[in-house]
Amino acid sequence: MATVTFDSATRMYPKADRPAVDNLDLEIGDGEFLVLVGPSGCGKSTSLRMLAGLEEIDAGSIRIGDRDVSDAPPKDRDIAMVFQNYALYPHMTVEQNMGFALKIAGVAKDEIGRRVAEAAKILDLEDYLLRRPKALSGGQRQRVAMGRAIVRNPQVFLMDEPLSNLDAKLRVQTRTQIAALQRRLAVTTVYVTHDQVEAMTMGDRVAVLRDGVLQQCDTPGALYERPANTFVAGFIGSPAMNVVTGPAVDGGVRLAGAVLPVPREKLARAAAGTGRVTVGFRPESLETAPPGEGVPVVVNVVEQLGSDAFLYATLGADDDGDVLHTADVVVRTEPRTAAAVGETVHLRVREDCLHVFDPVTQLRVD
Amino acid sequence: MTIASDDPRVAAAAAPPPAPPPGPPVRRRRRLTRNRWGYAYVAPFFVLFACFSLYPFLYTAWISLHEVRLSDIDGAEFVGLGNYTALLQNEFFWNAARNTLTIGVLSTVPQLAMALGLAHLLNYKLRGRTFYRVAMLMPYATSIAAATLVFAQLFGHDYGLINTLLEAVGFDRVDWESGTWTSQFAISVIVTWRWTGYNALIYLAAMQAIPGDLYEAATLDGASRWQQFLHVTIPALKPTILFTIVVSTIGAVQLFGEPLLFSGNGMTSGGVSNQYQTLGLLMYDQGWTNFHLGQAAATAWAMFLIILVVVGGYALLARRRARAER
Ligand SMILES: Nc1ncnc2c1ncn2[C@@H]1O[C@H](COP(=O)(O)OP(=O)(O)OP(=O)(O)O)[C@@H](O)[C@H]1O
Ligand SMILES: [Mg+2]
Repeated sequence: MATVTFDSATRMYPKADRPAVDNLDLEIGDGEFLVLVGPSGCGKSTSLRMLAGLEEIDAGSIRIGDRDVSDAPPKDRDIAMVFQNYALYPHMTVEQNMGFALKIAGVAKDEIGRRVAEAAKILDLEDYLLRRPKALSGGQRQRVAMGRAIVRNPQVFLMDEPLSNLDAKLRVQTRTQIAALQRRLAVTTVYVTHDQVEAMTMGDRVAVLRDGVLQQCDTPGALYERPANTFVAGFIGSPAMNVVTGPAVDGGVRLAGAVLPVPREKLARAAAGTGRVTVGFRPESLETAPPGEGVPVVVNVVEQLGSDAFLYATLGADDDGDVLHTADVVVRTEPRTAAAVGETVHLRVREDCLHVFDPVTQLRVD
Repeated sequence: MTIASDDPRVAAAAAPPPAPPPGPPVRRRRRLTRNRWGYAYVAPFFVLFACFSLYPFLYTAWISLHEVRLSDIDGAEFVGLGNYTALLQNEFFWNAARNTLTIGVLSTVPQLAMALGLAHLLNYKLRGRTFYRVAMLMPYATSIAAATLVFAQLFGHDYGLINTLLEAVGFDRVDWESGTWTSQFAISVIVTWRWTGYNALIYLAAMQAIPGDLYEAATLDGASRWQQFLHVTIPALKPTILFTIVVSTIGAVQLFGEPLLFSGNGMTSGGVSNQYQTLGLLMYDQGWTNFHLGQAAATAWAMFLIILVVVGGYALLARRRARAER
């Protein structure tokens, strides 16, 4: 068991014009479950592979525990990885797949047998030990890949989108199993996904990457409550947070002719340079206001989910001609009182649920 | 695959039951009619195959049962299995069979092993690997005659490069051509030289189909390059290896050009004491030097049966291993 530290770690692929991972600073605690999340191509897999030793580190360093492993070969890092396509050895049985690393390490046969049996029991694979991967379902293969990692009893687990080949229902089920298993084994784990729901439900902390740059690393709750910039604000949460920009006026920001109140100090700081302010509010923190109050939006689509309803609405351009764009706004409402398509609804943001950002730097203003 | 058909029988077969006539023959005929376009498309191949492969093949069998002289093919006299019993009692046959076996082993085994190693090396991201790949195929593209003549020079007794080199490092000259082992070794070298690259390319193609993440997984599991080769590459190549073994075996049993030209004068005797006469040479010797076509045909069939038995043996072994693994 060990901590993992990325210290300004940078990876530049040959012939690339910018680093795939740029100055990554990250401290992962002992036994922590850290999720790396971000859109496709943001450098999640690359970061993981740097830690695994499958990708060179061009600048900075990576430490496991107190040991600098930047130049250590993969086998000396004491890590185990679960690949997206599982990478099971096709000609070996489940048992041999799980025991391969131990066999290579020269562990005694009965010890291998014991540890494989133990892992198989945890993962409910006992009936499949003599099968080959091609005779297993996707979920079973996934568990074998997990088993192969567990058997090694490594210092760190790495998982690169291990659930992306499973169907939606199995993914939800497996996600809780993996999280529970990790808590039980208490092995430091770095988990890559592009699915923010997975990130939020599984991680002790979540690191959000964009274009190779770390945006924010915090607990799921903190990411949700206090996103560091508009990117994180839009990425975390489903449906995404509404982010709009409008001119700062006395007491707030003017949107579609109405004024959305913004605390005075934040407003002053956000609007200092440009006279504008970017605000963010989540679909679930909106409520309808009586006409005359709140910001008017026109409903385009109503999505009934049973427990909730989502209104997809348009925020009109400002009639002063000052605000440039119309914006799409998503609103969560009670399913029974949902507005009809074409209707104009007046919205206000629940207290303390408004996020304010600098329109230029996109950073959060507190 | 179904192809629209206006054939009333097919239409009737597709229509719901006027009590379907039971039994396989009917169903079988129906399938034949339904797939007739498929059969039509493959027919040209089978027509050519029948003309140029099957007919000569059967004709050879027929000839092998007769006493035939090359000068008088129509005056054949039926001798039953006489040619075969004669063959089994013929010391030249056993000598040729032994030579074929030793040359076959001496060439096939190192050839395939080297091909595997070469393919493994070429599978790394080498600079200029396209060049190496083309270079590897060059021997295969060389005519047997040219290659063998060059090698015969190299192995020559008085002026051969190899003997010169041997002498330079303090060994005696070797009379490659006249010794049994030395001549067979030399011929094996020619065969190996010619076919290693070809097999390496086949292995390389198969290696490139192995997913890269298997190697990454093995790396993380602590396997060295060599262990990865043993535990990832070789198992994945098993079917390919079997294929190359079968092809090389067939080639080895039929070995002809290299020993024919090795002496430099195209003698079918395979050396003064037949020390490198292969079955292919023996057959040619019987038919075209001694004009005993019946015996030559019997030898040809014997070669065919040997191939059949050996390849059948491989297939059995492979099947048994596959079953054991399941
Ligand atoms: N072998 C490579 N050579 C060059 N560029 C690469 C290589 N692998 C990845 N990249 C680039 O590096 C960037 C990060 O890739 P990476 O695979 O880490 O993304 P990711 O976050 O894992 O995305 P995804 O969610 O799609 O898997 C991408 O822009 C990609 O094009
Ligand atoms: Mg990836």
